[in-house]
Amino acid sequence: MINDIIAIFHDYWLLLLIGQYPNGPLGGLANTLILSALSIALAFPLSILLALARLSRWPFLRWPVTVLVYVTRGVPLLMLILWSYFLVPLLTGADVPSFVTMLTTLVVYQAAFLSEVVRAGIVALGHGQMEAAKALGHGYFGAMRFVILPQALYNMIPSILSTFVSTIKDTTLGYVINVPDLTFAASQVNNQLLTQPFQVFLILAVIYYAICWSLTHVAYRLERQITRRRAGLNGVRPAAVIAPVKIISEQL
Amino acid sequence: MTPSVSPQDVHAIRISKVSKQYGDYQVLKEIDAEVARGEVVVICGPSGSGKSTLIRTINRLEEINSGAISFDGQNIHAPMKTRELNQLRSRIGFVFQSFNLFPHLSVVENVSMSPVRVKGIARDVAHDHALRLLDRVGLADKANAYPGQLSGGQQQRVAIARALAMEPPVMLFDEPTSALDPEMVGEVLAVMKSLAADGMTMLCVTHEMGFARDVADRIWFIDAGQIIEMATPEEFFTNPRHPRAQRFLADLRH
Repeated sequence: MINDIIAIFHDYWLLLLIGQYPNGPLGGLANTLILSALSIALAFPLSILLALARLSRWPFLRWPVTVLVYVTRGVPLLMLILWSYFLVPLLTGADVPSFVTMLTTLVVYQAAFLSEVVRAGIVALGHGQMEAAKALGHGYFGAMRFVILPQALYNMIPSILSTFVSTIKDTTLGYVINVPDLTFAASQVNNQLLTQPFQVFLILAVIYYAICWSLTHVAYRLERQITRRRAGLNGVRPAAVIAPVKIISEQL
Repeated sequence: MTPSVSPQDVHAIRISKVSKQYGDYQVLKEIDAEVARGEVVVICGPSGSGKSTLIRTINRLEEINSGAISFDGQNIHAPMKTRELNQLRSRIGFVFQSFNLFPHLSVVENVSMSPVRVKGIARDVAHDHALRLLDRVGLADKANAYPGQLSGGQQQRVAIARALAMEPPVMLFDEPTSALDPEMVGEVLAVMKSLAADGMTMLCVTHEMGFARDVADRIWFIDAGQIIEMATPEEFFTNPRHPRAQRFLADLRH
């Protein structure tokens, strides 16, 4: 079986890596990474804006965004993808590439989830920090940027990371609207081989696991680095400080 | 004071007919009071009397229902653009009971951040100024520490330095020592005393009657949303006129 997997890898690695490119659209792992990176890069800032809108004291900002977040979170992603895929061309008459449809849907969907994480982070800080910033003369956006968000986002790193990871995994759903990503490439391989689905999809699973694990690892390193800096432990040898870091980070 | 100075110049803060209510509950009842430039006023009274609410209305952390509070001749509760309000607030130092330091910033960054971001002062100038202020509150050696590494007393001294960094003509203290362990109260009061000695206009809500006796020019005693006694410490402690104040002082001696 290992030999099968190696053989599949040997024969199809280019297809899995870049899809039909340059004879067709860019696909495979490359496209999955681009789609994931773009989704996260767009969903994250959007989620902060949505969270601020949901916390706004102006109803005309708060209400539409609250409705958007509730509806988006209450509907399966697959359904949203199919809606955008069939409805947007129908309503606008525009021929939207499936990659763009997938990206947009994913960004809105994940931003809705992330916005709740960000909002929770902000609310959990309590009033004291905002009051201190106001008393020093900071405006709302200055206080958010320099005082509230750096703390709220840091505290929420584990939850934010989970959402990022599920964003990457959700790119696989692009398969149903023919986004040529890694899953699409793998199913092409499977269709050609016909007899080795387990091997093909095991390769697929391992690649997704590697991507998600790498992201988790990077985020974990980042979190530790920030914790160490805030505990004033920069430049101290890591082995000696693992336990104190844990204790001090809870006090922060 | 020379006679030519107008009343607006004499008074740093003028509170006129300030009332505030939460639903049916009246927290502040038509309060009238003034703080002169360079004056140190201690506000005391039983808990729930409205002391903290009153001091928080002065930089508009609390809104009021009627009345006016003028600071430097400007009504801080007048309708105004948030930019103007922020500008006014930046000139009123405020020290919280719970310190509210920014835990993600080092001590020196806590002190220098707002001068840079709010007043647009150059980073290195603000940094040097912050170090001088930290030296003044006795924490020069903690400049690069983070708030989580400091004791309560040290955190509150950093909070005072942070407020001073905006160079406010007036400082407000809302029970600055109430969240501290007893052995740390002294170090914070010492900093406040030295501020008073330097001529800072100060308004302090505190239960530290020793501080009130030694440092205050006047004491305002608040009960049920009204200032029922305004007196020098000497008068207040030796001969309080209002029965409620007499009872309060008697309770303190127990």
